[in-house]
Amino acid sequence: MSGAGAPGFMLAPGTARPIKPRRGTMTGAAVVLLAAITVWAGIGVQVDLPAIAANWRNATSNIVQLLQPDYGFFPKTVPALLETLQMAVIATAVGAAISLPLAFLASRATNPKPKLLAGVRFVMNMVRSVPDILYAAILVAVVGVGALSGIMALVLFNIGIIVKLVSESLDGEDLGAQEAALATGGSWPKANRVAMLPQILPSFASQVLYTFELNIRASTVIGLVGAGGLGILIDNVRSFFRYHELSLIILEILVLVLVLESASSWLRKKLV
Amino acid sequence: MATSTTEQPRTSRPVKPTSRLRTTLWLLVSLIIVAAFWSVKIKWSSLADFPAQLVKYVSLMLLPPDWSQFGEAFNATILSVQMAWIGTVLGIIISFPLSFLASKGLAPRAVNAPLRFIFAVIRAVPEVVIAILILSVTGLTPFTGALALAVGSIGTLGKWGYEAFEGVDPGPKEAVRSTGGGTLALIRWGVWPSAAPDVFSFWLYRFEINVRASAILGLIGAGGIGKMLQDNVQFRNWDAVGMLLIVVIAVTMGIDQISGAVRNKLIHGRWRAPRLAS
Amino acid sequence: MERTGADIRFHDVSVTYPNGFTGLKDINLNIPAGEMVGIVGLSGAGKSTLVRTINGLVPITSGQITVGEHQLNGRGSAQLRGRELRELRSNVGMVFQSFNLAKRTTVINNVLMGRLYHSPAWRTLLGAWRDDDVELAMSALERVEIVSKAYEKASSLSGGQQQRVAIARTLAQRPMVILADEPVASLDPPTSHVVMRDLQRINAELGITVVVNLHFLDLARRYSDRLIGLRSGEVVFDGAGADADESVFENIYGRSLTAEDVLSSKGTL
Repeated sequence: MSGAGAPGFMLAPGTARPIKPRRGTMTGAAVVLLAAITVWAGIGVQVDLPAIAANWRNATSNIVQLLQPDYGFFPKTVPALLETLQMAVIATAVGAAISLPLAFLASRATNPKPKLLAGVRFVMNMVRSVPDILYAAILVAVVGVGALSGIMALVLFNIGIIVKLVSESLDGEDLGAQEAALATGGSWPKANRVAMLPQILPSFASQVLYTFELNIRASTVIGLVGAGGLGILIDNVRSFFRYHELSLIILEILVLVLVLESASSWLRKKLV
Repeated sequence: MATSTTEQPRTSRPVKPTSRLRTTLWLLVSLIIVAAFWSVKIKWSSLADFPAQLVKYVSLMLLPPDWSQFGEAFNATILSVQMAWIGTVLGIIISFPLSFLASKGLAPRAVNAPLRFIFAVIRAVPEVVIAILILSVTGLTPFTGALALAVGSIGTLGKWGYEAFEGVDPGPKEAVRSTGGGTLALIRWGVWPSAAPDVFSFWLYRFEINVRASAILGLIGAGGIGKMLQDNVQFRNWDAVGMLLIVVIAVTMGIDQISGAVRNKLIHGRWRAPRLAS
Repeated sequence: MERTGADIRFHDVSVTYPNGFTGLKDINLNIPAGEMVGIVGLSGAGKSTLVRTINGLVPITSGQITVGEHQLNGRGSAQLRGRELRELRSNVGMVFQSFNLAKRTTVINNVLMGRLYHSPAWRTLLGAWRDDDVELAMSALERVEIVSKAYEKASSLSGGQQQRVAIARTLAQRPMVILADEPVASLDPPTSHVVMRDLQRINAELGITVVVNLHFLDLARRYSDRLIGLRSGEVVFDGAGADADESVFENIYGRSLTAEDVLSSKGTL
């Protein structure tokens, strides 16, 4: 006790001091629960570190191949690359056009009909819970192999994201202008158009650009089930273990995504 | 009013301005969209059959779904969720210290910059591609999938982490510095308390993303939803796909509910599941 | 077609909110066309409720209100709804305490909101307003002397300018009544006088009936023909501004006056 500060600074032990609240048991229970889930999941996915060590030697040759992209393969990738871009652009445009009115229906602030609101929100939650690849697999069966099925899958994926984000920003908007527009004798749709739309337009544009970035990445993947784009090519070279070519494709995706991401984030800053 | 309007002087009225940049941007964007529609190789006529085809396949899948496949669909979905969990946990363990090192003010610039670049590169690569890369090391197991998700998680969690750490209120940071605390004390008492709720909620959000992403990994053999999907689509067992669809939607919505409730608790201090509908 | 003001009649009007709170109790009022009426009272006395019943933003529980040819009824009788309600609202302009502009769009777009009722849905959707409507909006901006800002973003304007844009928005409606709910509560004293003078001028020149809620007693006395005092949802004073002395206000407020009840720095009426 001695030496703690100046003499007289330490007062006599007070009886009024509170006892440290015991939050320990809750935290402890949470840690135990999380650890248990992790062990359960670990058993499920068969965590096997020795196997990695054993495989490491065969892997090195693959990795060496991956580090040497086969640039001669480039001309053959161009059509798929273009298709990926086309799919991403079209899906973003269509998705955005469908999402905007749906977002107004999915926000408490702009939809005065509780039943319609609940219905739209429930359907949107469902649309959002299906992985894009599942949409792609089903749509390939319905409309056939190619870009169209991929675009449709991406559109569904985009609607899920944009409607959620934009309706949330509508929920957070100040409702003053809308009240004023209703007070001039405007109907709800008209009031939403003139009072709410201008308010969320910058955030809508920014969400659309964000989904465009996601689409570039996703459109490279959904080709794995035949939905067009670079994915089909990845599937081909992968099945024949042509790592030099795979490596070029990955490099292309990397460059494409990084370039488009920086372009889109530049645009987003201009807009907001 | 009407009679008085014509008497008002009109000379002082401003002219409607036009923004050159805005017009150019709009033209450019429209041009890109038109070009994409015009050049893409799609038989647009097949859209005409689409509604009929959709009804056909949806009824094949759901009227009725193959209930005997419920067990398999459930197991496949659970395996994907387990992959997502392990991927998230590993991603957190690796990204957590890295995001401190990537924060300006908590580590030297020379450390910040390369880490941020690595995060950006990882974010650019789809999880499937990461999985294909890792596949060559570990062979084909669900663990491969989990590792791919872990690596993918590092990109986003790392970025969100350093953004949260850099965004904390400078007040507590200065307070810790003024008592003579070092960098570790600064992190523990000046940064972590304010950033913690956000960081926890990022972890949950990334788990939700991983649950969806893990479905894709099955396509290259990592097991789970993707594998069952591929097996059944191949043999056109549509009622089994329908069963899988139902289970996936139910489990994903359930997980989103739980994760949303935990997030509400962390941020608003209240347990409340996000309402499904209203 | 020259428009003039409409008269407003309250007949045994009561408002009870869903939580059981009584907003208004048996209000009987007769406001002739072209009058400028100030409403004073403590916050919670029912000023805001009274004003908002006139354009149906707050539905009345019992009694009836007539505004010109329109009639609003209490629960149980025929309700004004849909197009009929919107027609009433198109004839009644409203000015709010916090201006309620769409801040991210231009001033002229905000004023054009006053033409919503008369514009077809497709024009509203595309933002393709009729030339007549744009002309009306421009001349409304000229009347509040702010037309030079027409193409600026509403958010770039000062509070006083924003409130004048809001007044122009009501003028673009070519209304018969203008309601103002604490229009100067967010403004500094000199700007408050500018906005109040605008309302007074509009009332005098165009013959529009103006009902304005005011917190500051001196402003209310100075700018209105007639003062109505509300206390706990009931009318406790109704007369000329000149007749409202300090004892009247003490009755309305249920306490003696303080410096916060008047705008002028002298702290008295």
